[in-house]
Parts: sequence; C-alpha cells; structure tokens
Amino acid sequence: MTIREMWRRALGALGLGPSERDLDGELAFHRDMLEADARRRGLDPESARREARLALGGGAQIVEAWRDQRSLPFFDTLRQDVTYGIRMLRRTPGFTAAALLTLTLGIGANTAIFSVLDAVLLRPLPYPEPHRLVTVGDRGPDGFPGNVGFATIADFRDRSRSFDQLALMRGWGPTLFANGEAEALEAVRVSWNYFRMMGARPALGRDFTADDDRPDHWRVLLLSDGLWRRRFGADPSIVGRVITMNDREYRVIGVMPPSFEPLDAMHYFDARAELWAPLGYARDGDSSCYGCRHLRGFGRLKAGVTIDQAAAELNTIREQLRREHPTDLDTGSVAVVPLRQALTGQVQRPIYVLMGAVAFVLLIACANVGNLLVARSVTRRSELALRAALGAGRRRIVRQLLTESALLSLGGALFGVLVALAAVRGLAALAPVALPRLEHVAVDARVLLFTVAIAVVTGCAFGLLPAWRGASADARQSLAVDGRGTVGGFSRARAMLVVVDLALAMVLLAGAGLMLRTVGAVASADPGFRAERILSAQFSLVGQAYAEDGAVRAFQDRLLEKLRAMPGVESAALADQIPFGGNYDCRGFHAQGRIKPNPEEDPCIERYGVTPGYRRLMNIPLLAGRDLLDSDTAAAQPVILVSQAAAREVFGADNPIGAQVRIGGADRGPWRTVVGVVGDVHHADVTVPVTPAMYVPEEQFTDSFLVALVKSGTTDASSLAAPLAAAIREIDPKVPVTSVAALPDLVVDAASSQLFVARLLGAFAAIAVMLAAIGLYGVVSYGVAQRTREVGVRVALGARPRDVLRLVLSSGAALVAAGVAAGVAAAIASTQFLGSLVFGVSPTDPATFAGSAVVLTLVGLLAHWVPVRRALRIDPATALRAE
Amino acid sequence: MLLLISNMSDKTDVLQGTLDLMVLKTLDTMGAQHGYGIAQRLQQVSHDVLRLNQGTLYPALLRLEQRGWIASRWGTSDNNRRARFYALTRAGRKQLQREADDWRRMAAVMARLLEGEGTP
Repeated sequence: MTIREMWRRALGALGLGPSERDLDGELAFHRDMLEADARRRGLDPESARREARLALGGGAQIVEAWRDQRSLPFFDTLRQDVTYGIRMLRRTPGFTAAALLTLTLGIGANTAIFSVLDAVLLRPLPYPEPHRLVTVGDRGPDGFPGNVGFATIADFRDRSRSFDQLALMRGWGPTLFANGEAEALEAVRVSWNYFRMMGARPALGRDFTADDDRPDHWRVLLLSDGLWRRRFGADPSIVGRVITMNDREYRVIGVMPPSFEPLDAMHYFDARAELWAPLGYARDGDSSCYGCRHLRGFGRLKAGVTIDQAAAELNTIREQLRREHPTDLDTGSVAVVPLRQALTGQVQRPIYVLMGAVAFVLLIACANVGNLLVARSVTRRSELALRAALGAGRRRIVRQLLTESALLSLGGALFGVLVALAAVRGLAALAPVALPRLEHVAVDARVLLFTVAIAVVTGCAFGLLPAWRGASADARQSLAVDGRGTVGGFSRARAMLVVVDLALAMVLLAGAGLMLRTVGAVASADPGFRAERILSAQFSLVGQAYAEDGAVRAFQDRLLEKLRAMPGVESAALADQIPFGGNYDCRGFHAQGRIKPNPEEDPCIERYGVTPGYRRLMNIPLLAGRDLLDSDTAAAQPVILVSQAAAREVFGADNPIGAQVRIGGADRGPWRTVVGVVGDVHHADVTVPVTPAMYVPEEQFTDSFLVALVKSGTTDASSLAAPLAAAIREIDPKVPVTSVAALPDLVVDAASSQLFVARLLGAFAAIAVMLAAIGLYGVVSYGVAQRTREVGVRVALGARPRDVLRLVLSSGAALVAAGVAAGVAAAIASTQFLGSLVFGVSPTDPATFAGSAVVLTLVGLLAHWVPVRRALRIDPATALRAE
Repeated sequence: MLLLISNMSDKTDVLQGTLDLMVLKTLDTMGAQHGYGIAQRLQQVSHDVLRLNQGTLYPALLRLEQRGWIASRWGTSDNNRRARFYALTRAGRKQLQREADDWRRMAAVMARLLEGEGTP
C-alpha cells in the first residue's frame, strides 16, 4: 500500500472519500448496459436481466469489497464502536453524568496540580545547560548553601578547577527619583562574570567586563527590558546615558533581553531585579573578609564535572584556606547544590504532597467509575450475551466495552482540562508567597499530554475488569435468567472497590485534618511578640543627604515625633530589622573573657537595631535588667540587650548583665555593656525553634534601611497605612517607602505553605469523601434493589422496620468499617510524607485520626439514608408479585 | 493496522496485480473509458478465456485511483447516459511501463522454464 493510498483511505474512513451513491450509479449503468447487450442478442427481458446480474456478480459483496477499499478496516471498526458506545452512553444519562462528573473532578485536579509541578519542579530553568548551574556557599543549618564571604569565592575561583565561572550577587536598593516621586528599584550587584555564567547577553549595549568590577569603576548599569520600557520609553539611545540615583551618577551600558529571567525573580531575594551593577569589591575591602557573609555564590560547573566532585574539591580548598588563615575561617563546610534545587527546595514537599493527594482522588474516581461500570455490566449482560450468541468474539466485545470506557475518560479529560484552566488561576491566588516560577504555571501542551496520558491509563484502569468480566458472561446462562438474580462475583468486586474508595478518602481526610491542626497551631503559636494592631513601613535613607549618621538620626527623630502625634497612634518606634520582615543581620557576638581562640567560632546572633520604644510596642517581655532608654545616645556608653536564648548560649547560668561585648568582630568596634535580658522572638518562622537575638539602640548603631512601626489605638491598624507613608514623604519626598504591611499579615504569610497545603488537601479530601459516599450509596442501593423480594418475604413473615433497618445497615456498615480500618492503616503509613509541613501535632495524632474516622463513618451512614428509606417502604404484596 | 490489511489481501495479491495491469493497459490503449467499457474490452481481448466477475472491477478502480494512477470524472456515454469515465494519469503511465516490463520478464522466465522442461 502506498502512503498516498493509505492517506486517501484514512480520509475515506473519516467519511471524506468517494460516496457510495456514485458507486450505485456506476453499477446501475453497468447493469443496464449488460442488459441492453443481452436484449440485442435476442434474449427476453427476464433472461437478459438475469444474465446481466450474473455477469456483474453479487451486488452486496461488491459494495462490501468497495467499502473495505475505500477506508481502513481498523478505523471503520473504531467508528462503529464509538458510534455504538455514544448511543449506549446516551441511553443511560444518569450513569454517564455520574461517571463524567467523577472523572472530571479526578482528572481536572490532577491536571491543575501537575501544571504547577511541571512549571515549578520539572521544567528546566530558562538558561543554557541549566543542569550545570549551582549555588555555592557556606553550608547553612538546612544543608543548603547560605551566604558567603567575598574572599572565600575569590580564593575558590583562583584554586578550583571544577567551574567555568564562579559568580557573586548581593542585594542593592538604589532609588530612582523622577516626576516628583521616588521609586525604590529592585536591583542587585553582581560579579562581572554573572551574565556569562548564566549564559545570557545584553540585547543592547555590552556586558560587564572585569574592568567594570573594581571599587572605583563599578557605577555602570545594565537595565532589564521592563525597566527600560517603563522608565525610559524603550529609547535605544539609552546606552551611554548617565542617570542619577541616590545623588550619584551611573552610566547605562546595556539592556538585557526580555527573555532573560533574573535569578532573583525566582524569589531568591524575594525580589525581581530590574537593574544590575557590578559588585565592585576589592580583595582587601572592608566587606571582603571570609566571615563577611552577605553574598550569594553561584557557579557553572565545567562540562562533565559532578556536583559531588565540585563540592569535594571546594571543601578541600576550604580546609587549606583555614590552615592558612586560622583566625579568619570557622570550621564549617561548603555546600554545592543544583540551582534548581536551591530555588525550589522549599516548595518541593508541598507540591509532591498535593500531587500524591490528587493521585488518590483519581484512584477513587477510577474505583467509583469502575464500580458503576460493573453495576452497569450486570444490567447489560443480556445485551452482551446476545451479541456473543450472534457471533461477536470475546476480543470484539472487550474492545467495544473498552471503547466506552475510553469515551468516558476522554470526556472526563476534556471537562477536566476546563476545570484545570479555571483552577490554575485560583491556585496562583492561593499559592504560598515563596512559590517560585509561579507565573509559568499554565495548562500547556506538556500538561495536556499528561492529561491525555492519565485519561488513557484511567480508562484502562476502570474499564478493563468490567470489560473482561462482561465479555466472559456465559451467553446461555445470562439469556436464560434474563439478567435477574444476584451474581456473587460482581457484588464482591463492587464491595472491594467501595472499601478502597473509603480507605483512600480516609487517608486524605487524616492528611487534611493534620494540616488544619497545623494551621491552627501556627496561628496560635506565640512568636514572642504581639503583632496585633501593628503596622510597618519599610524605607531607606540613602544618598548624599544621609551620608552622615547625624542626618539619619535627625530624620529618625523628626519621624518619631510626627508618628507619635498622629491621631489614632498609640505608640511608634523604628527598627532596622523586624521579625518576619524578610531582612536579617546575623553578627558575630564576642563577649569579653569568653572569646574563642578563633573568634570566627563565636556564635552568630541576630542583631536588631531599634529605638527605645520598640520593646514595649512589640510587647517583648523584659526579663532582667533595664530596657533601652532615650538616654542611650550616640555619645553615651554603648549598651545592648540580649534575648534569653542568647544569654543562655553565651553566658550559660551566669548573669549576663554588665558583661562587655563586641559585635561583628572581636578586635573591632566599641565594647558594649549588656544592660538587660528580654524574651525570645521567632525571626521568620514559628515552626522552627527560637534562635538568639540582640538589640542595640539605633542611636548607637545607625542604619539607613529602616522600618517604621506604629501601633494603632483601635483594632484596625490598616487605616494608618496612608498617613504613615505620607509622614515619611512629608519629611523628605525623595525617600522611597517600599512595603507597608500589617505585622499579623507578615506572620501569617510565613505559614503560607502550610495554609496552601491545608486548603487544597481540605478540598481534595472533601471531593474524596463525596466520591466515596456516592460509591457506597451505589452499592447499598443496588443491594436493596436486589433484595427487594427477600425484604418483602421478611416483612410478610412479621419483620419489624427495625429488622429491615438492621438488614440494610449490616452489609453497608461492614463496608464502612473495613474502609475506615484500612484507611487508618494506610494513613499511618502515608501521613509521615507530610514531614516538616506538619507542626504542633504528631503525624499520627490519634485525635485527628479518630475525628476523620468519625466524619467518614457519619458520611457513610448518610449514604444509607435513601436506600434505607426505600427498603422500609417495600410493600410485601408488590415485592412478591413482581417476581 | 498495516498487518490487518496485508493479512486481508494476502491471497488475492497476484490476481489483483494482474487485474491492475490489465486495467491500466486497457485505459492506455482506449483512452478514457467507463467501467462497462473496460469490462467489455477485457472480455473481448481474452476471447472469453478469462472469467471476470465484472463487479470486482470497481474496488480495483477505486484502488488505482487512490494510488493516483488513474483519475475519474463523470461524463456522458455514447447512448447519452451519465457514466463515470476513468483515464490514465502520468504516474499511471509510468506504473504501466514498470508493470509491463516486470510481466514480460516474468513471462520470458516462465517460457524458458517450461520449454526446458520439455527437452531431455
């Protein structure tokens, strides 16, 4: 067969070939001509007609052969099966609607969650050879690379042979002032080889060079495409132009293409960089030491080098460095982690948990539809037996039944995709703040392929067993009993499927219950301060005007004065960091007399620079000594407060009050006197144990990046948002106010992963329980229908309603009990996968499990409602007459 | 799919090929012709040696058309009736050439073989 012939036959199979009317016309013409011929030879009309028919051959066979030639036999059968299948499905609209709805829910949920999984975890990062990109840094407590010092990466670059490029990045907050409004830009400073490492090039202008990356040379800029369009009208002559930010001049050297996705857009800094400048560090600079860990390290591995090889090499080098500089490096190690993992490590578990949950929902959907099909095949036994008796082979019947399953699952897939399209938008709104690459979540070709794949697998999963059983129905027996009477095999299969339904629903219920308990525990956990009624606004005092600490302090004083005078404000304070505020500053804490031989080994403690009213405003308890006072000015003796955890870690059982400490370096800066001990706070996450903190007066440790805090006198703090921002701008309109947020919102956002998982698991559990209840209802009501006669006989013999009730409930109750029992066992085995997502409750919490079991049992009993009422209404006379 | 089709036509392949060649040659000699005309010509040339079930011509004509060797068009017959006329395409002419050559070679082989059998 030529390709051309196959193509035309395929068209023919789709009804696009030559029409049968044409053939009929041709054959009629042929027959008439033969007949005329015979008549000319002298035959009578009757004989002529017979001879013509004989010469032409059997009409039906010709048409049959011609039809076979017109199309492909496989397609023809398929079309028949599909047409027949659709007719059968339309004949039972209730069954079809139930099956389609079930599959739509199952497939839709899977498609939606898979679209998230695919975009966030599966799709390669949008850079050339992304598998070679890694993050490099001093190993943090979570095993991931933390920040790193400039000197460390510089030495790695000199000595390592595993990397094509090793690059560095730090946050940066320049302010662009235009049209009377200050805009704080999201920006980063990067080592000159950063774009080379990422494999990106500017669309306009040039990339950074090593010459740009020097302390006196670094004021050159690369703009993002977005910033270029937004603020500079996509002016192509931008390259070479000088722009002023924070009273300093910067020269634009290029614009990145719109396709370049900044790393930090993936929330590496919780920001989306629009502007890049070189790092401009020198080896001997103030911020370049090994312990000056404020940089993010990235690398591109040489082709063929594995992560483990690179990590081993860097750790060897680090050991060498530590021997060479014994007081500059601590005994930590270096972590090298694939970039993708570093970006998505936090969200991997929630996404996989949800994928597992929707897989369960799909399994339940399969079991349910399989159940419906088994029930249906019982009522269709006569039809199938008839077909078998008429000569349809077993394969043919299986194929027909599978076609019907496939129609159902493809229909479910079609509606499921529509559901997913709507759900993806909802997911984006619900997703945790830290979910990276969220903007790439979409139902695209890859996701559709997945949907089709699960639809096919689903169709086979729920269709194969009923199809096989349907095909093997004994023709004679089935025809003889006319589809009535009970068939043990079918009932057992259905009971099994319902137990599976209930067990899976139980697992999801338990999981959702645990997550609900977690959300409750997070919400009621004490962060160490009182967030209620507190509003925060971040702003920065940078540029020439604030080059002197005195200017910053003057601004602070004026602002505090204004805020305290604002109507509705109970109290106000300033800080350079706040808990749950996103910025942290861990500094070495060196207590006189307790400094280790290598001061780098002294503990690193979170530093908060605050104004004296801060502790009272935040409601952090004072445990010993005194609070910070207005008299702790820049000129006075430097003082410091330590948290309880810090006191315990550094001073053990000794009284820390009066101790002399240096922060950020054992041999630098003033000695500060510990004057008080305060309660612990959680810095960013109530689900991890508290870590030490210290508080220095803003007057004695002046910072340009500040948070203004006001506590409202009334319950609603949000009405203070606009006046708060206005107060800052009134003092200096060039000061950018970046984010205004209520403190309780910040605390809630920190638990957004748990909340996200809790909400979705809750929704999936609800669907699962509903589907399981429907499945149970189907089996019980079928059982009642089958036993109508038996019930009738019993009632006739004097059974009371209570006995009938017991009869109906006994079979269903056994199913519910089995399902709950199996479900509890399965839940104990599977809730451990929730792992760190669960907080404040054990993954096998008996109360949660018991509650879930009770809910499921109640729903199970509810599913008996209608069948029980039906059984109670059975009239013995009618029931018996019906036989 | 392909398997199904080759299974189906296994036995009739030789005959089909012969019929195809005969139809192509007939159209080459006579020009555009309807099914009845082709059948008449085949009967006439074979001097009724060939017993042709004339209806089987139509699936064959469809196959040849699907392969692009012949093309068809509705027209009017000699006795003023609507009839479908088939004509050789350029690809069909080439195919005829190829099949005729194959057939001649095969016939020559058969002839030699059968002659050789007669001599001691």
